[in-house]
Amino acid sequence: MEGSLADELYSETLQLSNVKSDPTSIVDSKQSDSNDCDGDDLWHDDGSLWDGSSEELDKSSDLDREWQRRRNQFHTIGYRDGVIAGKEASAQEGFNVGFKESVLLGYNLGLVRGVTSVLACLPDGLIEKLVETQEKRNKFRCLHESVHSLSTTDALKLFHDEITTNKTVEQSENADSSSHSAGLQDHSSRCSLLGKYSEELQSILHESPAIEVHLALDQ
Amino acid sequence: MASEPKTITNSNIEDIFDSSLNLEETHFNDGYTQGYNDGQISGKDEGRQVGLKLGFQVGEELGFYKGCVDVWNSAIRVDPTRFSTRIQKSIKQMEDLIQKYPILEPENESVNEIMDSLRLKFRAICATLGVKLEYDGYPKSSVEVKDVGF
Repeated sequence: MEGSLADELYSETLQLSNVKSDPTSIVDSKQSDSNDCDGDDLWHDDGSLWDGSSEELDKSSDLDREWQRRRNQFHTIGYRDGVIAGKEASAQEGFNVGFKESVLLGYNLGLVRGVTSVLACLPDGLIEKLVETQEKRNKFRCLHESVHSLSTTDALKLFHDEITTNKTVEQSENADSSSHSAGLQDHSSRCSLLGKYSEELQSILHESPAIEVHLALDQ
Repeated sequence: MASEPKTITNSNIEDIFDSSLNLEETHFNDGYTQGYNDGQISGKDEGRQVGLKLGFQVGEELGFYKGCVDVWNSAIRVDPTRFSTRIQKSIKQMEDLIQKYPILEPENESVNEIMDSLRLKFRAICATLGVKLEYDGYPKSSVEVKDVGF
C-alpha cells in the first residue's frame, strides 16, 4: 500500500519523467500499471479516460516545446561563441594567404609608378642622358600618364574583380563551360590591364640601357 | 541520460537536474563545434580579403620606392654631379631598406619600422630635390591605408 501511495503522490511527476526519457517510458508505465492494483480505479475516478489522456498529451507537447526551445537556445549561444572563436583562429592564416596573393602584383604596379614618376620630373639635360630619343621619352610619358590616372583604389577594384571572376569561372567551368565564355574573355582582358603596365615598362626599359631597373624581386 | 524515476529520493531529484544541466552543456558544445567550423571558414575568407587589400597596397608602395630609387641611381651613374653626396647617401639607405624588407612575411615584426623609415627617407629626398612624387592612393598616414576599400 505504501508503494501505491508513493505512486499516487508522484504519479504526475512520473508520467512527465517518462515522457522525458523516451525509450524507457513504455516499459515503465506498463510496469507501474501491473504493480499498482488501485491504478485503474484512480484512473477512472478522475473522469473519463479520454479527458485524462488528452490532458497528458497537452502537457507532454508543452514539455517537448519547452525542451526544444531550451535546446535551441543553448545551441545558439554555443554556435555564436564558436563562430567568434573559429574566426579568430583562422583570420591570420587567411590574411597571410591573401597578402601573398596580391603583394607582388602591387609591387609590379608600384614599380611602374616609381620609374615613370621620377623620369617625368627629372630636369632637362639629365633625362636626355638617360633616355636618348624623343620617341622613347614620349613612351615613358604616356605610360606615366595612364598609370598615374589609375588610383590605388581603382587598381584594387580591378584586381579584386579579376580574382572574383577567376573564381566564378573556375566554379562555372564544372557546371557549364559554354555559357560563360564571355565572362572568360572579359576576365582575360582585365587580367592583362594591370599586367600590361609592367610589360610596357619592361619593353621600353629594354630599349633604354642607361636606366637600370631590377624588375624581378630577389626574395 | 535517462534516470530511473521509480523511487524518487533527494539524490534522484538532483540527478534529474544534473542530467538537464549536462544536456544544456551538450547542446552548447554541439552548437559551439558547428559554429567553430563555420567561423573558421568565414574567418579565413574575411582575413584573405583584408590580406589581399593590404598586400596590394604594401607591394605597390614598396615597388614605387624601388622604381624611384632605381631611376635615381641610374641618373647618378650618368651624371653624379647633379646629386649631392648627402642625397646619394639617402638614396643608398633607401635601397638597403627596400632590400631588407621581408615582402612575403606580413607577420614579420620589422615591417612597420622599415616602412616608416622608408617613408621618412623618401620625403626627405623629394623635399631636397624639390619634386613632388605621389600617386592617388599613396599612404599619407597609417590610418588612411585602412580606409581604402574595394
